[in-house]
Order: sequence, then structure tokens, then C-alpha cells
Amino acid sequence: MSISTTTIHVKDLRKTYVVPERDAGLKAAIRSLVRRTSREVKAVDNISFDVAPGEVVGFLGPNGAGKTTTLKMLSGLLYPTDGAISVLGHVPSRREKNFLRQITLVMGQRNQLQWDIPAIDSFELNRAIYRIPEAEFKRTRDDFIELLDLQGLVNKPVRNLSLGERMKMEIAGALLHRPKVLFLDEPTIGLDVTMQRRIRKFIAEYNHRYSATVLLTSHYMADVEALCRRVIVIHHGQLLFDGELSALARRFAAYKTIEVTLADASADLGVYGEVVEKDAGKVKLRVPKAETSRITARLLADVEVTDLSVEDPPIEDVIETVFAQEAVL
Amino acid sequence: MDLFRLFWLYLRVSVMNELQYRVNFFVQVFQSLLALITGLVGLALVFSHTNELGGWSRTELLVVMGVHILMGGVIRTVIQPNMERLMSDVQEGTLDYALTKPADSQILVSVRQFRIWQTIDIVMGLLVLLVAVYQLQLGIGVLQTLSFVVALLLGALMIYSFWLILTTAAFWVVRVEHVLELFQGVYQAGRWPVGIYPAWLQTGLTFLVPVAFAVTVPAEALTGRLTLQTLLGAAALSALLLVLARWIWRTGLRRYSGASA
Amino acid sequence: MRALLDLYLKTMKLAIVERFQYRVAEYFYMIGMIAEPVIYLVVWTTIAESQGGVVGGYTAGEFAAYYIVWTLVRNMNIVFTPYGWEFRIQHGQLSGMLLRPVHPLHYDLAFFAGWKVVAIINWLPIAAILTLIFRPTLDPTLLEVGGFFVAIWGAYLVRSMLLWALGLITLWTTRVGAIFELYFTLELLLSGRLVPISLLPAWAQQLADFLPFQWAFGYPIEVLIGQLTPQQILYGFGMQALWILIGLGLIAILWRFGIRRYSAVGA
Repeated sequence: MSISTTTIHVKDLRKTYVVPERDAGLKAAIRSLVRRTSREVKAVDNISFDVAPGEVVGFLGPNGAGKTTTLKMLSGLLYPTDGAISVLGHVPSRREKNFLRQITLVMGQRNQLQWDIPAIDSFELNRAIYRIPEAEFKRTRDDFIELLDLQGLVNKPVRNLSLGERMKMEIAGALLHRPKVLFLDEPTIGLDVTMQRRIRKFIAEYNHRYSATVLLTSHYMADVEALCRRVIVIHHGQLLFDGELSALARRFAAYKTIEVTLADASADLGVYGEVVEKDAGKVKLRVPKAETSRITARLLADVEVTDLSVEDPPIEDVIETVFAQEAVL
Repeated sequence: MDLFRLFWLYLRVSVMNELQYRVNFFVQVFQSLLALITGLVGLALVFSHTNELGGWSRTELLVVMGVHILMGGVIRTVIQPNMERLMSDVQEGTLDYALTKPADSQILVSVRQFRIWQTIDIVMGLLVLLVAVYQLQLGIGVLQTLSFVVALLLGALMIYSFWLILTTAAFWVVRVEHVLELFQGVYQAGRWPVGIYPAWLQTGLTFLVPVAFAVTVPAEALTGRLTLQTLLGAAALSALLLVLARWIWRTGLRRYSGASA
Repeated sequence: MRALLDLYLKTMKLAIVERFQYRVAEYFYMIGMIAEPVIYLVVWTTIAESQGGVVGGYTAGEFAAYYIVWTLVRNMNIVFTPYGWEFRIQHGQLSGMLLRPVHPLHYDLAFFAGWKVVAIINWLPIAAILTLIFRPTLDPTLLEVGGFFVAIWGAYLVRSMLLWALGLITLWTTRVGAIFELYFTLELLLSGRLVPISLLPAWAQQLADFLPFQWAFGYPIEVLIGQLTPQQILYGFGMQALWILIGLGLIAILWRFGIRRYSAVGA
């Protein structure tokens, strides 16, 4: 892909932090006053990827994998140690006004709205900051209020809102200037399921309406499954996988799940694989991927089966396997 | 006795905690020195234009300043940290932990927290007093020293009662921290003998906010101004304030238990 | 330019709405603040009376005027505290500011300017009470009133710039308390806050002339209470402008290098 057709272009991106190192205890504390020892931490280690306009990409990895660091570099808050980034044709770290007007970064539980006044007043401030034309501002604001179900909430001081309501408000405020690129860092963290679904729907709708590009990190696989066709997995700062979500399961799942319905509920299937679930005649078996077909054949031959299906494990389990494998390496 | 046992216990924990942050010691020394310099400059300025202020000489005012710093140190080491903790406990509903302990609740909430580096101000105040008394060349006798110590203790008790009453108000009105900000402003008035203030302000500084008893009266003891009546008056007022504080504390506690149950 | 004006007006409105919610708190804060000038006032009035009525060119009534106007200037003087930067960095607010296409200085200037509107309204009754109690000698000319109005906003800008620049040091180290305290002590002594500048010894007055502090405190007071000639008032405006420019220069440099550092070590 050439730069002109990509919204985000990242090439050989690196970020190293120098962190002071200190042993526990008073002696070490005093020693560190005189001589500091430090160590380099590679937060992001040689990552490259491109994102096309309008794409929604899930950014996955365990805590400390380098997701937030990457998002901060993409939004211009952090200078890369090495490598090139281009977002909408801008170098983010220059933080040009024209660039900042086209992006947004939302971090879960990081409040940018004024605490003591109604959100609607904060929105007005955002209008002034981003120089949004009055008519466009009103239209967008009212659309968002409708889409996120904020009627009646926008006139309450933000401190009186619940966590979920506040997050919805936060997202609305962060998107009023209709950014073309959205960096969302755990936008649904700590929220209940209904609220998560609402926000998810809103992001999908926003992406659809304005053809915005979205880069999203989340601990909730439901978010990723609902929004992203493509995922990028990083671990220890390195890129492990970049491709379609379904391909991730195919590539990394070490197991498959065989679900069988038995004519004879008392039959013991422990010899064929690990029994994960057993309910009346229904049994779920976990078997190594490579042996799936062999075991299926044996099952059908040995036991009286009324129904049988083979499935990929849930995405959570796949991700867990990915990171576990990596840890072993 | 419960009071001393608990006091000692919590003090030890605080000391151990704060010893981990030794940098704070230097920061505090620096801040106390700056405050001392500011005070001395203020005195120098005043006495570059006059020879006495409301009947007090320069050295005598140094005594007042010494007591002011000393008492300020006591307030910030023990009284203020405990009352601030009490206030936040009431606001956050965590006072229950303290109330479930098998000790007198008032004593417990009064000795839980110490800012040990603030004792630097106590030391600094004592040093200023030593210098001032030496300069006065009055020859301070046992009786004067004793009455000074007694006046100081009574003053501290009054300030404590005053703070406890204010803080207990947190049971009724949750946001009282502003009142305490006000106290810090008013306490500055103690830098000078209350006699120089207009009558209405003197009354306020004596009975409303007991700055007069906390600072001016002990200073009077060291400069040979203290009368027996004043000392007895101080004793009576501290007893009264202590009883009042205790009563308000109990009433407030009943209300707190009623509200949170 | 119009867009910037829009931003200022919006932010000021926001500040006014917010501060009005805390009227009670604001009053306590103000009363606590008033203890300080009342103490100075009482001390200097006592001295003036014992010295035959005048000290350093001030009569008791003029001292009263000085310290009552002091309370307004002190309110005008409240700007974003340098201690606030640590909070801004720790709580990610600075990152949020960096993501916006406007320099954050604008926001602070506008927000505190809006707060001033509330402060002045709240201050009026307090000033009335103080006037009734202390009977100030205050008889300003129209020029002095006009000059005062400009000078307090000049003072606001001078102090805003300098404290903003001071606060930016937090981008390099969080152990800044000592530097701030030193600054505030010098400011207290040499700005006209503790005593009118003319009561300082000659050498201290000369020192104060080279420093910005008096232009953000003593100068506007002296304008209103009639201690200055029209030439001196004009000179003061010049000095205010000079120090605002110096402050802006400092901010420009510190901001540039500070943010570079901040973006390198972790936002």
C-alpha cells in the first residue's frame, strides 16, 4: 500500500524508555541518590502497519504490551525513539493544529470534561477550541445526544453522572469536531454490559456515517468482535499478528471444541479429550487442533452420537493461548 | 492510661512511616527557615519605623514570635493532621473503622496521625525563644518557666478543643474544610500581641478563636506580664472548652451513627 | 482572532458558572484571606499613630486605603498555581491539553479571568464592611480610577505569565516545592504585599525595582490611592508590559523544551 491511500502509516516504530532502577530498602534508596542505575525498556519494538481510510482496527495485547504507548505516539503525545509515523499525511509529534483538529484520543476513565458544570457547557467550549461552525456543531451535538441517549443528562453537572453516563458524555465531547481518526483506549472499561453495547453501537454508527478510521484497544473481546474485522496483536512491544479476526483463531487456536449429543447420557468420553462441559446428553470436548478429524472419526465409530459439531474456541481463549505461547518462547 | 498508650503507639507508626521520606525533612527545614526569615524581616521592618508596638519592645515581640512558631508547630504536628483525617473519614464514611476499636473514640481520633517533620517548627520556636529570653536578660525564674509551660499547655488544649468542635461540625455540614482554611488565616494574627488589635477583634481572638490564650498569654509569662487572674482565666476557659468539645463530639457521634445505620 | 475571542468568552463563561456554584466556599476563602491584610493594617496603623500620624508617607487612613485595595488586588492576583502542574501531569490533563489545537495558556488565562468576575462581585460587600470599620482615606481622580482598572488586569497578566513559567519547571523535576516557596517568599517581601514598597529600606526598594513583583501587587494599589504622579502611572504600565513580554518569552522557551522532554519520557 502506498502512503496516499492509507490513513495511518507506521514503519519500524520503536519506543524505548530509560527507567531508573533501584533495589528495595533504605540503603538502596540512599545509594540511588548518588549513583543512579538505569535500564532501557523497549515499550514498542519495531512495529509496522498501515490502516486504510474507514477501517476499524482492534489493537490487542495484555497490559504493558505497548498498546497505549503506540496510541500516544500516533496521536502525537509521545516522540518515537525511532521509525516513521504518518497520520492523515501529518507527522503526529509535530502536533500541527490542522492535524489535531482531525483526530481524537479517548482514554477510558480520563476525564476531559469540566467536573462541576453540565456537559453541554463543556461542549460549547469544545466548539470554540476546535472552531466548529455553529450550525454544524448544533447538528452534530443533537445527533450525538440522540444516538447516545443523553437527553436530560447533558444539563446535569458532570460530577452527578454515573460512570457510564460520564463515559458516553466524554465520547460525545471528544467527537464533536468530527475527527477523521479516532484513537480509543479502553473506551468501555469498567462499564456494565448495556452501556458497553451502547457505546459500541455508537462507534460503529460514527464510523459508518463519517467514514472515520478507528483504532481501538479493549479488554472486552465483545467490543473487538462487534467492531473490528481486522486486529493487530502486540506483545512485549512486538507485532505478533495483523489480519482478520477469524484468521487469528485459525492460526493460533491450539484446540478445537467438539460438541456431541449422545444417545446414552452415561457414556464417559474422557478418553477422547478433555471434557469441559457436561449437561445431560450434551458433552463439550476440548481436543488438540491437529487431532480433531481423527478424534471425530473415532467418536462417530465408537459411540452412538445423535449430533456433532466442531467449533473454534472463543476468541478470549485464543488470545490467552497466544500470549501464553509467547511467554514460553 | 489509654491516652498515652495510644498516643505513643500511633506516634511510633508515624515516625517509622515518615522516616522513609527523608527528603521531606530537608524540604521542611527549608520551609521553616523561609517562614522564620519572613517573620524576622517583618519584625525588622516594623522596628525600623518605631521603637515599640503597643507597649512591647522588639525583643519581647521576638518572644511572641517564638511562641507563635512553637504553637504553630504543635498544631501542625498533632492537631491539624488528626482533625483533617477525621474530616475525610466522615466524608468518606470510613470513620466506622475507628469507632469499632475498643478505645475512647474521642481520644482515638485525636492521636491517630502525626506529621513528624513539622516538629522542626517546635524546635525552631524553642530556639527563637531561647535567643529572645537571653536578649531580654530578665533572669527567668522557676516560677516563670512553670507558668509559661502551664500557659502553653492550656493554650494547646484550647486550640485542640476549638478544632475538635469545628471538625465535629462535619457530622452536620459535610464541607467544613473551608472553616479550617479560615483558622489558618486567623492564626496569623497571633504573630502580634492581641493587645494591639481593636477591641472587637481582641474579643474574637480571645474567645471565638483562642489565639490570644495560645500565643499571647504564654508570651506574657516569659516577659513578666502574666497575672494570676489571666492564668486562672485561661484554666477556666480551657476546662469549659474541653467539656464543650466533649459534649459536641458525643452529640455528633450519635448523629453520625444514626445517619449511617 | 475572532475564533480566539470566542474561545476566551466561552471559557470565561464556564469559569463564572463553575465558581458561582461555590459561592459559600469562595466566601470562607475570602474571609480567611482578609485576616492577612487586617493584621498588617492594624500593625501599621498602631505604628503610624505612635509616630505622630505618618509612617513612610502613609497616614492611618491611607494605610487603611492601601490594605483594603490590597484585598481586591490579591483576588486579581490568583492565577493557576505552579503546584497544579504536578496534578496536571499525574492525572493526564496535560496530555489532554496537548491534543487540543489551542495553546493551553489561553485556556488558563481565560478561565482565571472569568473567575475574577465572580471574585470582584463577591468582594464588593466585603470591601464595604472593611470601609465602614477602618475608614480609609480614599479620594481618587478619574485618571487614577481608570489607571487602576487597567493596572489590575496588567497585574493579573504579569503574575499569570510568571507563575505559568515557574510551574513549567515541573516538566523537568517534581521536586519543585523549594523553588516555589523561595519565589513566594521573595514575592511576599518585595511586592508590596507585606508592606508598601516605600516602607522598605532603600536598598530593598532598589532591588524591587529590578524585579517583577511590585508590578503585580503594590503598583495598582498605589495608583488608586493616589501615591503616584501621572508619569509614574504611565511608567508602571510600561513595566507591566515589559514583564508580560519577558514572561511570554520564558513560557515560549520553557514550553518548547519542556514538552519535548515530556513527550520523550512518557506522556
